[in-house]
Amino acid sequence: MIPTLLKRSVLLSILGVVSAGPLVLFAQSADAVKQPYQTERANSGTPNSDVVKKDANGVVTSYGNSSIMYNAPSPSLINLGRALYMQNCASCHGNEANGVPEGGSSGAYPALVGLGPATINFWISSGRMPAANPRQVQAMRQKPRLSDAQSVAIAAWVNSLAPSYPYIPTPNLATANVSNGAALFALNCAACHTIEGIGDALASNTYAPSLHNIPAYQVVEAIRIGPGNMPRFTGNLSDAQVNDITKFVTTYISHPQNPGGLGLGGLGPVAEGFVGLALGVGVLAIFGFWVGEREE
Amino acid sequence: MTDVLETKRSKKLAKGPFGSVGHALNELDDRLGTAKGGRTFLDKIFPDHWSFMLGEIALYSFVILLVTGIFLALYYIPSTAIVTYKGEYLPLYGQKVTEAFASTVDLSFAVRGGLLMRQMHHWACDIFVGAIVVHMARVFFTGAFRKPRELNWTIGTTLLTLAIVNGFLGYSLPDDLVSGTGIRIAYSIILSIPVVGSYIGFWVFGGNFPGTMVIPRFFVLHEFIVPLLILGLVGAHLALLVRQKHTQFPGPGKTEENVVGTPMFPVFMAKTTGFLLLVAGVTALLGAFAQINPIWQFGQYHAANISYAVQPDWYMGFLDGALRIWPSWTFHSFGHTIAFNILIPSVILPGIVFGIAYAWPAVERKLTGDNAIHHLLDRPSDRAVRTSLGVTLLAYLMMLFIASSTDVIANFFHVSLDAVLWAMRILVVVVPLIAYPMTYKICKEMQNFKGAGKRKTTNVVSRTTEGEYVSAASPRYVDDIPAHLAPIPVPTYIEEVQAPANDADGNGTRVVDR
Amino acid sequence: MSSGTENHTPVSLRGLSADDPHLQPAARNPERVEKVIVFNFVLGIFFGLLFIVAYIQNWQPWILGGAMAGCLTLLGIGLIAWGKYLMPRGPFVEERHEFRNTDEDRSAFAAAIVQRGGGLVKRRKLLTGLFAGGMGVFSLGAVFPLLRSLGPMPKGTLFHTDWRKDSYAVDITGRRVLVGDLAVGAIVTVFPEGEQDTENGQAVDQTVLIRISNQDFTTMKGRETWGPQGILAYSKLCTHLGCPVGLYEQQLQLLVCPCHQSMFDVNNGAVPQFGPAPRPLPQLPIYIDADGYIRAQSDYREPVGPGFWERA
Repeated sequence: MIPTLLKRSVLLSILGVVSAGPLVLFAQSADAVKQPYQTERANSGTPNSDVVKKDANGVVTSYGNSSIMYNAPSPSLINLGRALYMQNCASCHGNEANGVPEGGSSGAYPALVGLGPATINFWISSGRMPAANPRQVQAMRQKPRLSDAQSVAIAAWVNSLAPSYPYIPTPNLATANVSNGAALFALNCAACHTIEGIGDALASNTYAPSLHNIPAYQVVEAIRIGPGNMPRFTGNLSDAQVNDITKFVTTYISHPQNPGGLGLGGLGPVAEGFVGLALGVGVLAIFGFWVGEREE
Repeated sequence: MTDVLETKRSKKLAKGPFGSVGHALNELDDRLGTAKGGRTFLDKIFPDHWSFMLGEIALYSFVILLVTGIFLALYYIPSTAIVTYKGEYLPLYGQKVTEAFASTVDLSFAVRGGLLMRQMHHWACDIFVGAIVVHMARVFFTGAFRKPRELNWTIGTTLLTLAIVNGFLGYSLPDDLVSGTGIRIAYSIILSIPVVGSYIGFWVFGGNFPGTMVIPRFFVLHEFIVPLLILGLVGAHLALLVRQKHTQFPGPGKTEENVVGTPMFPVFMAKTTGFLLLVAGVTALLGAFAQINPIWQFGQYHAANISYAVQPDWYMGFLDGALRIWPSWTFHSFGHTIAFNILIPSVILPGIVFGIAYAWPAVERKLTGDNAIHHLLDRPSDRAVRTSLGVTLLAYLMMLFIASSTDVIANFFHVSLDAVLWAMRILVVVVPLIAYPMTYKICKEMQNFKGAGKRKTTNVVSRTTEGEYVSAASPRYVDDIPAHLAPIPVPTYIEEVQAPANDADGNGTRVVDR
Repeated sequence: MSSGTENHTPVSLRGLSADDPHLQPAARNPERVEKVIVFNFVLGIFFGLLFIVAYIQNWQPWILGGAMAGCLTLLGIGLIAWGKYLMPRGPFVEERHEFRNTDEDRSAFAAAIVQRGGGLVKRRKLLTGLFAGGMGVFSLGAVFPLLRSLGPMPKGTLFHTDWRKDSYAVDITGRRVLVGDLAVGAIVTVFPEGEQDTENGQAVDQTVLIRISNQDFTTMKGRETWGPQGILAYSKLCTHLGCPVGLYEQQLQLLVCPCHQSMFDVNNGAVPQFGPAPRPLPQLPIYIDADGYIRAQSDYREPVGPGFWERA
C-alpha cells in the first residue's frame, strides 16, 4: 500500500509539474480556457501539530492543536464514497479519480488523487462540485447538491486511493481572538475578497467570492488548500492564526456591525455615491420643484 | 418727569404706528443708518423658478457641514501617534492604531450622537458637491454665466474645486484602510510631476510616504484653510448675486430691466429658511438610516494592507476611472521618467476640464460675438450648440465616473473584468461622440415644437344633462405664476382698511399684513 | 426704466389696499392650509421632543437621527407651505439699475489711477523699481519657509529600500520565513527583519514571496539565482501608483493590483500584461540559507514603486 502510494505521488508530482508549466503560460487570456489544476502540494500538512493521533497501523487519523483539529474521514465511509463518486464525479474526473487527459471534449478535468480530504470536502460541501456548468472558467458557490455526510464519504474514498493531507478541519472558535483575525484578514484576504468580505471580480472571468455565511470549517479548508486561483496558506499561517481569521469571517464579516443604519451592501463609496446623489440631491431637487415656481 | 396724562395707550402711541419694533429700528438707524438700505434689502425680489433652488441646496448643505464639522472637530485628534484601541468594537480591540483612527472610532461608538454627526457630515459633503455640479449645470445650460456674471461663474468654479479638495482631505482624516490608499495614490501622483515632483511630495508629506505629518496637515487644510476660502468665496458669490440681482426666465411681464418674483421678506425668507430646514432634515434622514464610511470595518491604514473594490468618494470618481482605463504610456529616456499614464488622467485631464470651465464665458463671448448684458435666461433647448457641448462634456465625465467601478460592474453582471475595462475604454470615446448629435437634434426638435418644456394645463371635459360635451381648462395650480396679475412693485405701506368690528385695541385702525 | 442714480431708491408703490389681489394668499382655501401647517408644526415639535428624549436615553443613532430628521423636515415643510400658500402671492417686480456709471465718472476713475499712479511710476522710476524689487525679493524668500521647511529633500531616498545583503525575510509578526512554510501557490507579505513594525519600513520595503514550483525558477536572463526552489520575491508596491499588489491568482499566475487592475505575469518577472502599470514589479534577489530561512542577496536592483522624474 505505502510503496504504491509513494510511487504514485512521485509520478503525479512530476506529471503535475510537466503539464502545469506550459498550461500556466497559456492560461492567461480570457474565458473557457483549460485551467492548470495544480496537483503537487508541498508542505500542506502537519506543521508543528501539538496533537497527532495514529491508528493501529501508524496511519495518522487526526492532528492539530487547541485551535484546530484536523480529522481524517472514517474508513467506514469508503464504500459509500466510492458509490457516490461513481454516480456524481466519475464522468468528469475519471473512474480512478485521475482526471481526464487534455484533448477531451472541453478541457482538462483535474486529477483528484493525492489532493487530501479537505480539498474534496471543500469543493463538494460548498456546492461548487458537482459542477453546474463544467465549461465555466470558475465553478461558483451554489446550494450543495450533496450533503455534508456524502461529501465526507467521497473524500474518504478519494483519499483512500492516495492518502494525503490536509484532513478535514474542525476549528475551535472559542479560543480565537477576533481582533487578531481582523488584522490578519486585512493583510492576507482583503486584497481579493475586499475588506468587507463581499467579494469582487478578478482577471479573466475569475472571481473572489463573497465570504458571507460560510461554515467555519469551510473557511479553514479554503485557507489551507487554496482552491482554484486562491493562494494556499500552509506554514505561513499557524493554526491559531487561521482560527482567528475564521472567527472574524464567521462573525464580523458575515454579520457586520452596522450601527449607522443600512449597510448599503458593503460596497463603500460606489453605493454611497448613488444614494447621496439620487436620494440626497434628487429628493432635495424634487422638494425644490415644490418650493419654487414653474413656468406657465 | 412723567406727563399726568400718560397712559398705556398714550405711551404706545408715542412709539409711533409701528410699536416697539419700529422704535428699536429707529434707534438702530440713529447709530448705523440702516433704514434705507434695510428697506431696499427687504424689498429685493427673488425670481422663484424651481431650478434656482439648486444653488440653495449647495449653500445649506455647506451650512450643515460647518455645524456638524465643528462638533466633530471637538473630538477628532489629528495625530498619527500610536495608541492601543480599547473601545467597544471588538475586532479592533488591542490593535495598535493611530490616534486619528481611534478618535474617529470613538466618535462613532462612544460619543453620544457622534455617529449621527459623522454620517450627517459625510452625507452633507456628498450632497454639497452634487448640488454644486447640478447648480453649475443649470447656470451653464441657461446661460446665466454671461455678462455681467462671469466673475460669479469663476468664483463658482473655484468653489467646486475647493469643495472636491476639501471632501478628499476630509475623508482621509480618519486614517482608515480605504482613505489611506487614496492618500498613497495622491502621493504617487505628486511624485510623477516632472522635475519638482519628488520635492513637492517630500515637502507636503514631511518625508517619504507615509510619514507622520500628512494627517495633521490635512486637518489644518480641511478644517481651517479651505473652509475659510470657501466661506469667503461663498460670501462673494452671494454678494454678487444680491448686487447684480438674480437672472430670470423670459415670460409675461419680464424684461431685461426688471426682476419679477417674491420679495425677500417675508415670502422668500420663509421659503428659504424652510428649505434650509428641509436640507438639514434630508441630510439627517440619510445620516440616521444609511451608513456611510464605516471606518471601523475598514480598520487602521497600514501601508502593506489593501482592499479590493475600493473607490474614492463619487466626486473623485472621474479621476479614478481615468487612471484605470488609461494605457500605460511612459516616457523613459535621458535618465528621466515622465509617467504620462499618471499625469494625463490625474493632472492634465482635470486641468483641461476645469480650464474649459473657467474659460467658457470668454470662449462663448468670442464664438458668438455677444458682448451684451443678459439678465434673461435662455431655455437650454434654444441654444442647441451650447447645450450639446455641455452634455458632451458631462457624458465624458460620467463615463470616466462609471469607469471607476469596473471591478464592481464585472462582479455584479458576472462578466470578465478585462472585457469591462476594454468596454470602458471604448465607451469613453464613443458615448460623448454620440451625445453631441443626439442632444443637438433633440434641441432642434424642441425648438420647432410649440410649448415644448412648458407646463400643460389639462382640459376637463364634462357632459351636460342635454348630452352636450363641454371642455374647460382645469383650475390653475395655486403655485403657478399667476400670469393674469400684472407684477407690481412692493408697496411701501399697506393701506388701512375701514375700522372693522374687531378693533380690539381701539386704535381705530387695523393695519393688515400677513 | 433704468436710471444712473447713485442711491438706488427703489421705485415702489406708496400704498396698496389690503384687499388687493396681490396681497392675498395663494391658497384657494387658506384655512385648510393653515390647519395642515399646524399639524406639521405640532408633529415637528413632537419629533423634536423625541430627539431630546432619545439623546437623554442614549437610544440608537437611527432613532436620534430619525427624530431630528422628522423635526427638521416637518418644520421646514410647514414653513415653506406658509410662505408659498399663506403669504401675499404677488407677483412683485423690481427694476434693475444699469451698473455702469456715466462716461465722466469712468474717465475720472481711470484718470485717478493712471495719471496719479502712473505718474508716480514715471517720475520716480528708481524708487518704484527698488520697492518692487524689494517686495519681490521678500516674496521669493517667503516661499522658502513655506515650502522647504515642510520636509526634507528627497536626495536618494526613493532609490533604496531597507533590504540589504543577508536580510532575513520576516512576516508582519516578525517571524522569519522558512522555505518549508510555503506550499506551491502560497503568497506571504514580508519585510526585512526589523522593519515590519515601522510604517515607513512597511511602505517602502513591502515584498511578496510567492512560490510557483518546487524547483529553482528563472524569470528572466540574469536572474537564475533569484528564484530558489520556486520561491520568487517581488516588490509589493505597484509601479503604477504604489498600491500594495496583494491579489495573487495562483493558477493564472498573475499578481493583480486591486486599485486599478494592473496585471503582472509572475513567470516573466512580473511584466504587466494589462492595465495602466508601465513597468514590471522589481524582483528582489533572494536565497535560502542553510537553515532554510529566506534571505535577500542584496537590495532591489532598481527603485521600487511608481515612477518619478529622477528615475532613470
